[in-house]
Amino acid sequence: MVSAFPPPVGDPTSGRGSGGLPGWLGNVRKAASSVFEGLAVTMSWMFRRPMTVQYPDKIARPVQEVLPDAYRGILELDVRLCTGCLLCEKTCPIQCIDIAVEKNAAGGRDITKFDIDISKCMYCGLCQESCSFGALRHSGEFEASQSDRANLVLHFVTQPQPIARYKAGEAPPRRPRGSILKDVIVGYGTRAGKVKGAPTPPPPAWDKPAPAPKPEPEPVALPQAPAPAPAPAPAPAPAPAPATPPKEETP
Amino acid sequence: MLRDVANWIERLLGLDPATFAYSWITSVVVIGVMALVAFVFIAFFAGPVTWWERRLAGRIQSRIGPNRVGPQGVLQWLADGIKCFLKEDLIPAQADKGLYMFAPYLVFGGYMATFAVLPFGANLIAADLDVGLLYLLAITGLVVIGSLMAGWSSNNKWALFGGIRSAAQLVSYEIPSAFSLMSVVLAAGTMSMQGIIRQQGAWPWDWFVFRNPFLFLAFFLSLTSSIAEGNRTPFDLPEGESELVAGYHVEYSGMRFLWFMFAEWGNLWVIASIATVCFLGGWQIPGMSPAEIAASTGLAFWGWQALTLGVFVAKASVLVAFVIQVRWTLPRLRVDQLMITCWKYLVPGALFCLAGVLVLLAVVPENGIADWALRGVSLAAGLAIAVAYVWKTRAAYMADRDLYRRMEGKELWYPPFRLP
Amino acid sequence: MTDPVVSAMVFYALATFTLVAAGFVALSNNIVHSAFALFATLFGMAGLYAFLSADLLAIVQMLVYVGGISVLVLFAVMLTSGLDDSRHSNSTTRLAGGIAVLLAVAAAAFVAASAVPSGTESAITPMTALIGDALLGRFVLPFEVVSVVLLAALLGGVTLARGVKGGDR
Ligand code: SF4
Ligand code: SF4
Repeated sequence: MVSAFPPPVGDPTSGRGSGGLPGWLGNVRKAASSVFEGLAVTMSWMFRRPMTVQYPDKIARPVQEVLPDAYRGILELDVRLCTGCLLCEKTCPIQCIDIAVEKNAAGGRDITKFDIDISKCMYCGLCQESCSFGALRHSGEFEASQSDRANLVLHFVTQPQPIARYKAGEAPPRRPRGSILKDVIVGYGTRAGKVKGAPTPPPPAWDKPAPAPKPEPEPVALPQAPAPAPAPAPAPAPAPAPATPPKEETP
Repeated sequence: MLRDVANWIERLLGLDPATFAYSWITSVVVIGVMALVAFVFIAFFAGPVTWWERRLAGRIQSRIGPNRVGPQGVLQWLADGIKCFLKEDLIPAQADKGLYMFAPYLVFGGYMATFAVLPFGANLIAADLDVGLLYLLAITGLVVIGSLMAGWSSNNKWALFGGIRSAAQLVSYEIPSAFSLMSVVLAAGTMSMQGIIRQQGAWPWDWFVFRNPFLFLAFFLSLTSSIAEGNRTPFDLPEGESELVAGYHVEYSGMRFLWFMFAEWGNLWVIASIATVCFLGGWQIPGMSPAEIAASTGLAFWGWQALTLGVFVAKASVLVAFVIQVRWTLPRLRVDQLMITCWKYLVPGALFCLAGVLVLLAVVPENGIADWALRGVSLAAGLAIAVAYVWKTRAAYMADRDLYRRMEGKELWYPPFRLP
Repeated sequence: MTDPVVSAMVFYALATFTLVAAGFVALSNNIVHSAFALFATLFGMAGLYAFLSADLLAIVQMLVYVGGISVLVLFAVMLTSGLDDSRHSNSTTRLAGGIAVLLAVAAAAFVAASAVPSGTESAITPMTALIGDALLGRFVLPFEVVSVVLLAALLGGVTLARGVKGGDR
């Protein structure tokens, strides 16, 4: 059998051609020196800073905030922007979006259900593409673990919600990315070490080259202010009379 | 040692050891207790050392390693052990049931049996056999048979290959291991473990490594072949996960798997302590000869025992760390390279050392000028290697230091004692 | 182990273990089981040597027979081709096994009936050095002759294994 690569002289794996005693000694020397060099390199790593980012507790900021905007995390719906066009439901290749729209007493229409099963969702982003109103989009949130599988179906509408009507330039401002999910995901913030977040004991500031501990009001202000914002939107809803028999409507 | 303890217990019970008719009962009890102590030692050594190994491996790979269970993760091994303990004990339907169930115990028993002759301190040894070193080499036979048994009875091709490789490797590497240890036996004139230690001294120039250049070489050969006998990387072909999944214990789960793991990490201690006994002066402490220790009584006696134990454990731990570092430095050998390393390099090398030691023993009178010159040469070689090692390590660090600072805006310096 | 009752107990335990394992070697239907039982037999022999305070012999038995020969036997068994089902690979030994047991029982009866010369118990002496001296002193010629024979066997084995020059390695 002819090998494509002739073994170099002194190759310890080649049975022959190692050049007698000098070759043998050369192999021994090579083996010893390469083991020695290797050990020195690994030893030097004992004195180097580890790369590891100790998610979730020993980090400067929650990972969600430092992810790029294009990151496709768990979907979130801003109900105030949704027109109930059902495009997203139709687009989804695996039908994990479940929307119900009904007529209400005032003659308009209500969204009574907007469920997304994130256990089925494959984060393909098609629904986000199809939503012409920017109501449905991916957040930066990715911590989806739950103790009950039913909690993986996110209910974005808990009470019937009148469908938004607005002109092109008059849409209500979008809420900050990720701020809606905090109210939708069961047990949000009770996991990991994220709630303690504020003190961040040894800030290695791994994501920023400069130390700059003081001037960071911008990232803190954005996500941590969902409470004063109009977050609990469904609370003061008109709440139509339950007497009206609900009818399925297909536009 | 065994009879000493038994006599001591009998005297404690108010019996005369000389006339006590049922002294075999105390002997049996003492043997049982010693076996238990060895077992507990293996469990409490093998467990934490897995954590230690993973931490070292983490730092070598620029990670941190397990640091969640308990302070800095020191209880990780307990969590792993409990997890394994609670797992289902699966037995493949086509397996040879009896052999399959028995094999882990044989492997573990083989390793536990080595603890009978491993010394821990000046008088801390279960049985100071006259042929201790030979016993140590012989008892690995149990491990060979055990891994073959596990591999065959699993009725799995991977397991069978793992078992056969393991056996072939152990049988071949026994030879350089034995030859390089035989040069120590020649120099010491005895095969008893304590006897070999007593032939050395507390200071490095009295150790067998630095006795003469041949023994210096034999130290590395012996360490290499015992790493190979212990199936550790770079010689861990029996469990090469890229080709054999997990080798001879691929089918095992739960407690039986744990026995294999115990044996594997317990073996780290065996490797380290054989090298410590034979080359690094064992438990000797400066300024106190073994005879003086044996002559002391009462509390002083136990104090010396504790001190020698500490010295021994410290030396062995350094070697354990070294063996771990070797594992995370070198890639795995191929099968043919494994055999070539053994038969073409280690065996002739060990024979060369043996012959060299023989010649020096015949030619060089002990404590003469030539003897001390040989010691000086070996010690200088050792020091040179150590200095070169530190220098190389520093060079590897310095090569990246400035670049790191420029790119990350932080210092690269993060010594091992600084816990993340 | 000075108590005669205890030493008798230990002896009979070891002897039973060895004999049962040996019987298993001869009678098992499964050739791999036989090989493992052979290991147990040799191990029991080592135990008997140790019991008779021949420590060096016991350990050499372990080293050579348990660690070497029985592994080689296992290798040979496992690498033997034509063993389709190892579970029924030794089924022709039934008659031979019966005869063997018969012979063994007869031999045991014969031995039991005759008077066994029993030596007096001597003090345990370290024998390693004595054996070494004997091997390299009084018996140096047989020792060397045996080693030459072994060397010849080794060379023969290598020559046979290498095959014809120019063929497959
Ligand atoms: S991301 Fe893809 S899978 Fe998920 S809901 Fe949207 S369309 Fe469906
Ligand atoms: S989320 Fe967008 S696409 Fe889906 S129903 Fe609402 S407006 Fe239509």
